[in-house]
Amino acid sequence: MTTAAPASRRELYVGPSRGQRRARLPADAALLLIGACFLLPLLWLVFASLDPEAGHETRVPGEVSLDNFAAVMTPGLLFQPLWNSMVLSAGTAAVNLVAAVLAAYPLSRYRSRFNRPFLYAVLFGTCLPVTAIMVPVYGLFVQLELLDSMPATIFFMATTTLPMAIWMTKNFMDAVPVSLEEAAWVDGASGLAALRTIVLPLMRQGLGVVFIFVFIQAWGNFFVPFVLLLSEARQPAAVSIFSFFGQHGAVAYGQLAAFSILYSVPVLALYVIVARGAGSSFALTGAMKG
Amino acid sequence: MRRRALNITSLIAAAALLLCACSPAAPADQAKTLKVVYQKTDSFSALDNLFQSAKSEFEAAHEGVTVELQPIQANDDDYGTKLALALRSPSTAPDVFYEDTFKVRSDVDAGFLLKLDDHLAQWKDWEKFDDAAKAAGLGDDGGTYAVPLGTDTRAIWYNKKVLAAAGVGLPWEPRTWQDILDTARKIKANDPTVVPFNMYAGKGTGEGTVMQSFYELLYGTGDALYDADARKWVVGSDGFTESLAFLKTLYDEQLAVSPAEALDANVWKKVFGEWLPQGKMGATVEGSYAPSFWQEGGSYEWPEYGTDMGVAAFPTKDGQAPGAVSMSGGWTLAVGAGTKDPDLAFEFLGTALNQKNSLAFNIASSQIAVREDVAADAGYQAANPFVKDVSDLVSVTHYRPATADYPRISAAVQEATEAVITGSKSPEQAAADYDAAVAGIVGGDKTVRK
Amino acid sequence: MPVLPLMRPLPTWRMPAGLRRRARLLPVVPAVLLLLVFLAGPVLWAFQASFTNAALTGRNARSPGWVGLDNYQRLLTDPVLPLSLGLTVLFVGGSAILGQNLLGLTIAVLMRQARKPVAAVVGTAVVAAWVLPEIVAAFAAYAYFSRDGTLNQLLGGLGFGQPDWLYSFPMAAIMLANVWRGTAFSMLVYRAALNDVPADVTEAALMDGATGWQRLAFITLPMIRGSIATNLMLITLQTLAVFTLIWVMTAGGPANSSTTLPVLAYVEAFKFGDIGYGTAVASLLILIGAVFGAAYVRLLREGKP
Repeated sequence: MTTAAPASRRELYVGPSRGQRRARLPADAALLLIGACFLLPLLWLVFASLDPEAGHETRVPGEVSLDNFAAVMTPGLLFQPLWNSMVLSAGTAAVNLVAAVLAAYPLSRYRSRFNRPFLYAVLFGTCLPVTAIMVPVYGLFVQLELLDSMPATIFFMATTTLPMAIWMTKNFMDAVPVSLEEAAWVDGASGLAALRTIVLPLMRQGLGVVFIFVFIQAWGNFFVPFVLLLSEARQPAAVSIFSFFGQHGAVAYGQLAAFSILYSVPVLALYVIVARGAGSSFALTGAMKG
Repeated sequence: MRRRALNITSLIAAAALLLCACSPAAPADQAKTLKVVYQKTDSFSALDNLFQSAKSEFEAAHEGVTVELQPIQANDDDYGTKLALALRSPSTAPDVFYEDTFKVRSDVDAGFLLKLDDHLAQWKDWEKFDDAAKAAGLGDDGGTYAVPLGTDTRAIWYNKKVLAAAGVGLPWEPRTWQDILDTARKIKANDPTVVPFNMYAGKGTGEGTVMQSFYELLYGTGDALYDADARKWVVGSDGFTESLAFLKTLYDEQLAVSPAEALDANVWKKVFGEWLPQGKMGATVEGSYAPSFWQEGGSYEWPEYGTDMGVAAFPTKDGQAPGAVSMSGGWTLAVGAGTKDPDLAFEFLGTALNQKNSLAFNIASSQIAVREDVAADAGYQAANPFVKDVSDLVSVTHYRPATADYPRISAAVQEATEAVITGSKSPEQAAADYDAAVAGIVGGDKTVRK
Repeated sequence: MPVLPLMRPLPTWRMPAGLRRRARLLPVVPAVLLLLVFLAGPVLWAFQASFTNAALTGRNARSPGWVGLDNYQRLLTDPVLPLSLGLTVLFVGGSAILGQNLLGLTIAVLMRQARKPVAAVVGTAVVAAWVLPEIVAAFAAYAYFSRDGTLNQLLGGLGFGQPDWLYSFPMAAIMLANVWRGTAFSMLVYRAALNDVPADVTEAALMDGATGWQRLAFITLPMIRGSIATNLMLITLQTLAVFTLIWVMTAGGPANSSTTLPVLAYVEAFKFGDIGYGTAVASLLILIGAVFGAAYVRLLREGKP
């Protein structure tokens, strides 16, 4: 969107200076070294998943086999938990998107005394240690009899990522010029109508980024469903993989690795889809201006 | 392109929302559905079999009743946590559930368990249950709240081949702690790659640490954890420090597994699945249920276990009377206090624990029978070569103090063992810290210095 | 520019009445409701519960009683607390403020100098660890640091000793694992921030003969200090809450030597069933988070030009 353009234009006409060019080789080498360090822990996952006799140690499998994958690809072990993860994550992302778009619109478009305190509160809530409130949240769910309920868990998970979603959405919305709406206002359209017909279509990609960002967070969340969802039939993959690990322990590392990979692939793929548009959403500083 | 991608995501989201809106929050006809919660792991499916069989039996006998089985896949610790989380909310509390004996009293205190006295009075099978085992289901008020599935004892399990290779005479019958150390050192000298004598320690193995290790030591010194008559916790006993010192010796001389291995929650799987069958471990202290892992259909099938393994009673410290020590625990079935239909729930409990189902369960999980008609069964007695040996240990066995404070005390004991084997504290220091911890948990007036 | 100024002037032709202005805030209501019910509510509940002896089981599960400051008194005398507090500070300071932050900045700076494909490939590798589900990342880290894991294989291959990391150096292991998992966030933030630094500023510095490091320290960093403060706040609070990674790798052991506050709160509340005490620990954690958050927000406001 608007953000990628200036950056690339700058690089076009400035180009690397001589100093920069000289620094290239060491920079390349240093980066590659760092990258290798980041990939190393993942090596085990890949090797072990293909090795029918995998253990803790990383080794190139003596014989490559898909047995581990075959062993975990059963409805009870893999597909049901993955489906549960899917429902939880998509639900969380959808709730987030709706609430965040609605909240971001007045924040982005109207000046109000309410904006600044609200934004600071949201910023603060962005990273309230979720672990710390799990005990009270559990208590709350007991009192409201919401334990083991998928919708309630979705709403809670959505709330934990909502502050971040509001930030990102507001950033994207700020990038849509207000002049376009003014025309609609003249025609008598309400703010929300303008939002729906003009602003949202223009920030499609941004919304996709928010959706997937939240989706990825929810997909990987272990602790919240672990405490709030009790029956086996509703457990997402994060929890079933944990009990899988606990039970098989020393025995089935290969299957654990295969399970992990099957569980991770969907989010890795999603990330690749949005990776291009995501960069600008990390420009946190801009949001604090004003 | 982009528009389509977004449309798909929003479609999925809408579908997901719809789905959870329709997913059943609560079955419509609650009264006719019984929810049963229990533990199931890949190395423990006997209970699942028991409930599957009880379910079909019960549903056949009761038209229109559905038994909803909810196995929780977790180790003992996590199962306890998840069960406690579920019990606390009326909407998730099960009708019938699998309950560890040592949690019965605290859960009775919490009001989670239904008093079964009236139902038991009319249940003709109840008189077939062993009296000592019946005590496991008692609450503080003297009423019975849970019915035992079976019980167990703890003993030394040793690999005859490993001991014979080191020149130890068979059958091995250690009389004192010193005998154990002597034999372990002998095995170590003969083959340094073998783990001579393992005893669990640390928080990783949880209750296993105390049940299969520390209490055998403590109760063999003549001291105890709890003074049941005075209803006070014992602190400052010599036996406590001596027991820690024994563990320290085992771990310092590398007679047991390495401390790092001991702290791994899955170490017991290696003991049963690798080290003993492969002759890499001389002996360990484990429960009478050990054969359930090795017998046909077990998690670590080992056809020769009957001939390769031997069992010995754990000796008292200096061989003082009664000469041996064992610990018993076991699990029960209980009925949730909030059940909509107590009669139906109890009836299901009765079906699950009838002679046929108990027998199958006790054999499959190598439990010591608590029903006399099961104990007398020829199939039960021949289930594995060690039934008689481990059943005899009931005469010298001890039970954990069944108080609401026990789980925390147990954790403090585990912490003391962990501090000692990792070398972070001396036995004296760890014992002193334990004393302080106990006073902090139950209050100074509930402790007694011995 | 990625982000336009926050508050724009209202269109001049419409003077809003007070009521109208309030109605405009209506769309914020769902978000506010969610935040109140599921975030503010539990936080208040936590403070309230920490003054009771609520429990998962036992007598106090049925009728929790008000115990005043007992839990906090116990917390202050608990020998685990200073240890746990120290470990938490070490964990946050070492793995977030130093580790993730500096490494993320370094990678972002290097990426501007390196060849594009190299930067893209390495960026993907760094981000992969971050996108992975936390439990998978935790397993991978567990296997990596375990006694016969990849790290020790490498060290052995290079002729170094092979300690049992999770046992002998549990804090080092979980801190490195957290750096591995979380650096991507800082990297992305700094990459976006550096992209906003006008090239002519650094070009001008280049004419003056400033070396690369001086340029970074005196020109670039002050320009992105807003991003730095925001990033520091976010990663501090995120790291403060890390539970799964530690729970899977060491479960707080051995002998409590990696029991950070979230682990302590979990163990007390859910393993020992002492909800009152567990929430006292959690309340302390929230307070620490609040202090950090407030400090950064201040930093942010002062740093504003």
